Amino acid sequence: MTENAMELVDVRKSIGSKEIIKGLTFSIKKGEVFGFIGPNGAGKTTTIRMMVGLMKLSSGEIRIDGKSIVSEYKDAARKIGAIVENPELYPFMTGWQNLVHFARMNKGVTNERIKEVVELVGLEKAVKEKVGKYSLGMRQRIGIAQALLHRPSVLILDEPTNGLDPTGIREMRQHIRKLAEEENVAVIISSHLLSEIELMCDRVGMIQNGKMVAVQSVRDAEKPDTPALQDVILEAQPIEKSRSLLYAHSKIEAKAEGDLLRFQCEKDKIPELVAYLAGENIAIYQVGAGKATLEEKFFDLMGENTIV
Amino acid sequence: MFNLVRNEQMKLFLQKSTWAMLIALVLMAFFGVFLTKPDSDEVKYTDANWRTILEKENKKIEKNLKDPETQADEQYYQYVMQDYEVNEYYLKNDIMPLNYGAWQYVLDGKGFLPLLSLLTIIVAAGIVANEYRWGSIKLLLIRPITRTKILLSKYLSVLLFALIGLALFMIVAWIAGAIFAGVDGLNPKVAVYTDGKVVYDSIIARVFEDYGFKLVNLVMMATFAFAISTLFRNSALAIGISIFLMMAGSSIIVFLMEKSWAKYILFANTDLTQYTTGVPIFKGTTLGFSITVLLVYYVIFVVVSWLSFTKRDVAGS
Repeated sequence: MTENAMELVDVRKSIGSKEIIKGLTFSIKKGEVFGFIGPNGAGKTTTIRMMVGLMKLSSGEIRIDGKSIVSEYKDAARKIGAIVENPELYPFMTGWQNLVHFARMNKGVTNERIKEVVELVGLEKAVKEKVGKYSLGMRQRIGIAQALLHRPSVLILDEPTNGLDPTGIREMRQHIRKLAEEENVAVIISSHLLSEIELMCDRVGMIQNGKMVAVQSVRDAEKPDTPALQDVILEAQPIEKSRSLLYAHSKIEAKAEGDLLRFQCEKDKIPELVAYLAGENIAIYQVGAGKATLEEKFFDLMGENTIV
Repeated sequence: MFNLVRNEQMKLFLQKSTWAMLIALVLMAFFGVFLTKPDSDEVKYTDANWRTILEKENKKIEKNLKDPETQADEQYYQYVMQDYEVNEYYLKNDIMPLNYGAWQYVLDGKGFLPLLSLLTIIVAAGIVANEYRWGSIKLLLIRPITRTKILLSKYLSVLLFALIGLALFMIVAWIAGAIFAGVDGLNPKVAVYTDGKVVYDSIIARVFEDYGFKLVNLVMMATFAFAISTLFRNSALAIGISIFLMMAGSSIIVFLMEKSWAKYILFANTDLTQYTTGVPIFKGTTLGFSITVLLVYYVIFVVVSWLSFTKRDVAGS
């Protein structure tokens, strides 16, 4: 078997004469958390709808664990758990009744399994109440519960932290990482919260105008490009003097950003530089390691005015 | 499939509106007996008086039948004439007619069946469209089950609802009849006019035959509402169109009577009793003709519903 949990091969979708997905090719490995980002209208939701079989592909192929969603729908769908857009369950039924409903649509989901999933998402108390009374965060949890019932090998979550409080977001993040690491589930997360994606995902795909503009590893992006060089942020006064001193000392070209200086140097050299600047009567307020955030990369790739 | 139908029934019966509808049906079945029951003092047949009652009645009918106004309306004429023939049958065969009771009320209760049709239309119109309204359609259609099966389970659930409603209606009607009019025996018989002659038949057999005929209309209208609701994904629209057509159906036929194609209209064919007890709406049509027309409509409704449910994308709301 292939180690890819999901593969997209030149997936295209046209609605009317307009092509909205223009040839997506990428794959997601087992046990990987894949972030799927892009501006509104870029085609995220359309792509997700095609992955789960809600929309048909105009051409191309999507395989889940090697099974085609087009020609082997039932085998492929058995391996997917998903929330598409909001987790919209039946408001007049209790959480438990909702889960029983979806459990019946898959083979081999026992009552014990439902209980297990309820515990996993922390809904033991609320599960006897009607979903219509749930808060957004509880709905998100019950949504995840229904997606996990049948132990899917691919979990697709659209905006999973939407409506969760900070504690909930942290728990959710831990759940997702646990699922990926311990159960080898491939998780696809779409979100507009770039910082969220950064914290949760192994790799990120950026989509724009129906095309994948970049796929890159998040962990790599966090590490300095060459191990020796480190991004440094320095808050020091007076700022111009500091800048020229840095250049004089070891030919470092620092950029001034407001009260901050930003530059790159070898990590080992930082204490020496700090001592030197202090010796020259520079007031140092803070020194920190800077890193290019995903958000910056995002805007680099997309350009600032991408939302057309 | 069993689990899918179970799911649909669970969703249906966990909604308060379903219960409200069934309660309305039960109330109708229970109190409807006061609408159909004859005034007890007027016609309480006893060994001594039933002959005179029937003779008096038939004298009245004879006069009515000679009235040119009655003769002008063929349907009404037939209706009155059948009453006459039935009375004659009792007199000729010296059988005392049955006093009104539970079984006869159940038989008369078929007149209230349009209410059940209405409720079934509401259920049929909502069962697919509501999934779109709730947004749950997205979670429903990503399971390892073909859309055809899901659609079929929903359709079967509508029919099951109609059957449950029907059983409930008949049971409550019988109980109400027994309470307010009395029990008329285990398997009572009455004289009825059918196929151009009067027969002495068991009421229970009549109940099944008459209800069966009435259900044709129910199934056709429910299937129509189901198709409209899957096509437009909007239950209000489907309810509106279906109920309007159900109510206006016969008027439409009268309005278009002169057109040569009017006999192909659905509503000209839904009442199959026109071939057993009454006069066909259009001269020259037969039971076989109507059944063929109904089948063609049925297939069209099913195909429209199936195509729009299985072939279309579920796009954003």
